[in-house]
Amino acid sequence: MTPEALELLFTGAFHGLGALFAVAFGIVLLLLAEILPGAAKLRPAIFVATLVVAFLGELHLLDEPAGIVLGGSYIADASTAAWGMVFLCATAIAWVFGRGYYTVEKPFQGEHDVLMLCSLLGMLLMAGSGDLLSFFIGLELLSVPLYALCGFRRARNDSVESGLKYFLLGAFGSALFLYGAALVYADTGTISLLELGNADTSDSLSLIGYALITSALLFKAGVFPFHFWIPDVYQGAPTPVTTFMATGTKAAAFAFLLKMAFMLPAGAVASLSWIALITIALGNLGALVSRDLKRMLALSGVAHAGILLLAVVSCLKTGNVALAEEAAIYYMAAYVFSAGGAFGLIALLESKTGEPTTLDSIKGLGARRPGMAAAMAVFMLSLAGIPATGGFLGKYFVFSTLVVQADMAGAAIIAILLSVIALGYYLRVIIAMWMEPADEVATLPAEPKRLGGAAAAVCVAMVFLLGVLPDLFLGLLP
Amino acid sequence: MSLLSLLIFLPLVGALAIAFTPSKAASLQRGIAFLTTVVVGILSLTVWGTDDLASLAVNSAWFTLPGSQIDVGYRLGVDGISLLMVVLTGILMPIVILSTPGHIKERVKEFMIWVLFMQMGMMGVFLATDLVLFYFFWEIGLVPLYFMVGIWGGKRRLYATLKFFLYTFAGSVVMLIAAIALIYEAQSTDIVAITNAMSTLGVSDTIWLFSAFTLAFAIKVPVLPFHTWLPDAHTEAPTSGSVILAGVLLKMGTYGLLRFSIAMFPAAAVAASPYMMGLGAIGIVYGAFLAMAQTDIKRLVACSSVSHLGYVVLGLFALTHVGLAGGLIQMVNHGLSTGLLFLLVGMIYERRHTRQLDQYGGIASVMPIYAIFWTIAVLSSVGLPGLNGFVGEYLILLGSYQAMPFWAVIGVTGVIFGAIYLLMATRKMLYGPVVHEANRKLTDLNPREIGLMIPVVVLIVWIGVKPDYFMGRTEASVAAIVERIDQAREGMKVAELAVPAPAAKGGESR
Repeated sequence: MTPEALELLFTGAFHGLGALFAVAFGIVLLLLAEILPGAAKLRPAIFVATLVVAFLGELHLLDEPAGIVLGGSYIADASTAAWGMVFLCATAIAWVFGRGYYTVEKPFQGEHDVLMLCSLLGMLLMAGSGDLLSFFIGLELLSVPLYALCGFRRARNDSVESGLKYFLLGAFGSALFLYGAALVYADTGTISLLELGNADTSDSLSLIGYALITSALLFKAGVFPFHFWIPDVYQGAPTPVTTFMATGTKAAAFAFLLKMAFMLPAGAVASLSWIALITIALGNLGALVSRDLKRMLALSGVAHAGILLLAVVSCLKTGNVALAEEAAIYYMAAYVFSAGGAFGLIALLESKTGEPTTLDSIKGLGARRPGMAAAMAVFMLSLAGIPATGGFLGKYFVFSTLVVQADMAGAAIIAILLSVIALGYYLRVIIAMWMEPADEVATLPAEPKRLGGAAAAVCVAMVFLLGVLPDLFLGLLP
Repeated sequence: MSLLSLLIFLPLVGALAIAFTPSKAASLQRGIAFLTTVVVGILSLTVWGTDDLASLAVNSAWFTLPGSQIDVGYRLGVDGISLLMVVLTGILMPIVILSTPGHIKERVKEFMIWVLFMQMGMMGVFLATDLVLFYFFWEIGLVPLYFMVGIWGGKRRLYATLKFFLYTFAGSVVMLIAAIALIYEAQSTDIVAITNAMSTLGVSDTIWLFSAFTLAFAIKVPVLPFHTWLPDAHTEAPTSGSVILAGVLLKMGTYGLLRFSIAMFPAAAVAASPYMMGLGAIGIVYGAFLAMAQTDIKRLVACSSVSHLGYVVLGLFALTHVGLAGGLIQMVNHGLSTGLLFLLVGMIYERRHTRQLDQYGGIASVMPIYAIFWTIAVLSSVGLPGLNGFVGEYLILLGSYQAMPFWAVIGVTGVIFGAIYLLMATRKMLYGPVVHEANRKLTDLNPREIGLMIPVVVLIVWIGVKPDYFMGRTEASVAAIVERIDQAREGMKVAELAVPAPAAKGGESR
């Protein structure tokens, strides 16, 4: 294909679909590499190249005007591109930390990578979908590979349990969405988001439909009262997959929630903000009593989802999608690098023994593996929202939209006081690593491989960059 | 790089340099840390020597808040209020480093890194003239102390350090929400611009912002009833941590009260003045009673800190010229005298490994030089005329008497109680017969220990004899704040005359 033809392809009918095509093409190449003799060692290169090309595609899209393609089912604009970059970073982090994680399952690494890319494709489609149908395809494309990935360590009971649990509940969530979409369609006669925005949706049929759709999204994001699956599934799933789910899936759910927030009735402001506050409280309290690090971070992720929901609330209340979206993307980007880095480090810690990482097993890590422990401390401080880390500015922007634009200072104060609870468990991780002596019997965690160490260093650097030089990233969005 | 930026970021450079040293090279790490703090100390004296402080200001762009035209800037500046604090930080930090060989023997590298981080945070808080930048340094400052207490502290260190962090963090996040609202209200993050915009507003417009900021600072000071984290943190912290905590960190709270609560919201401060003075005065007496009941000498000094900071709050919220000036100089005095007391407690603990008062007695005959320094520190703390404590306490009591005689009288009783517990402790420690055999073998202070305390003693006497030299530099800034307060009072009077309904309210709160 000539460059001119390519140019035409991507500015015309397929404007803004570059990343989607790149990922889909990558999946095909990976599958081919699977069956062609001698091509197996190309797999990592293919994976990385796919992500890089997709990332460049999104970067290119940032400066382009918004485009509605595929008959209105896909809307490509700068915010889609920004979300896409978040998903790509999440995938890259999960994948890099997954290298060397699997032992028994090593021969199936190829399938693992393909499934991950399929899920990524689903995320990209979700974030850009222009109607309920393409969103549903994205949702399924995201979920189905994840069911398999959760149960990827099939020799282990907890992994299988995790996969099965996620499958059963996830299928339920998908059904909720479909039913909701059907009701909305029955009432309004359209599934296009743009048309739904103008349609009269005050009818109870639509309201029930939207409630079901929102519930399905809250389920994927892990928000109260649909958060109960999170700790079990996250804990049982292979840690790289947990990394992927915690950062990517959550981001995808919120990307679409923000997109459809303007369709929700104004009455949802109060209920959603209460849901957000309860989510923050339950997530933090749950994390406070768990000693398993994966479980703790899973529940802390629930609390973070609650804060992101507050961004959705302010978007709903003010109708200013762009601002809330900017804050949410920033928050999510900081979360991807801090939580992704933290889960990744857990994956590195587990890779030698296969034992779960608990507050006891990381005692004295500061003396034995100072680099890892320092990186983990940075991630914890960022998740807690201490300045100079990305977590702080994300928190600042979300609360700024909430207080200033949405005029909800009360909710902001309750939320931020609830998030002080979170400090209790983030600091406990630091206490265990740096202030308590190591157990004599504990095995020394493996020295991180060069790749894992570099990935952790990149995450730390990104956390600081997001925290100190926000203009680098804010400038990307129009 | 400008002078003020150097004050903040030289410690960071020093910390990075230490991070690249081999972990066993403790004396190299101490050396780098000492050198860095000495250079920063000299630079802070250069700031003191600069006549035109406004010429030092730095103002460059940092980032724009999303969805607005508000530019967050990298803005630094120094005025009469922050000048004393900057110099105090500059002078105390080399002393802190010099005091470490006695009690920081393990993980020296990490400790030095954290001390330098701490210095960066403190300098940043005092020099930032941008609200977001201020908040940055304000919270960054929590992290190093958290590590210093948690790693090198005493037996209950983990409890103390978590309590410290949670308390102060809870206060800061409330301040964060208030700061967000304030930035939007004033459409700027420049503290000077915000102050100009806000200080003309009335009570009802600013009372919530005032309360949120005051809460955060009151926890940090700490003002009664938020003081319970302080004795724990002080007692468990290593000596150098206690010195930093008492010397500078708590001053971040009183500095904030003056810079934000009073200067930014004078009307609300006038309305809240009786209550804040009350909290200050009760804090003085309550802290003194707490101190009297202690058998642990370090805890005693920690409780005396609560009492002495009560004076600062009492003086600042008297909102009179004399009271403000007294409160400001007392911030320095407390840093010097309590810092010195903590150093001395640390030195005897290193020798005897106990802090129980009844384990001592007759120390003066065994360690005469130690006894001299201890006595100077105690007398300074008690407020003996001729030493620094007297100047501050006298001005504060005078200023608060002008505003509300009742609380001034309560505060005066604190002077007596202060003398009782400090002199009683001195008697139990230094005088009488040597009861315990172990005390006979104690060695007196070595030249390093004497040397590091000399600058503090010099300042204690200097401020006591020539307070004008120090207070002269603060005069213009204090006068500016007093002017704002007077304007606010005028405004409230006008409001009383004009509208009868709020008049009753205004009258009540007086």
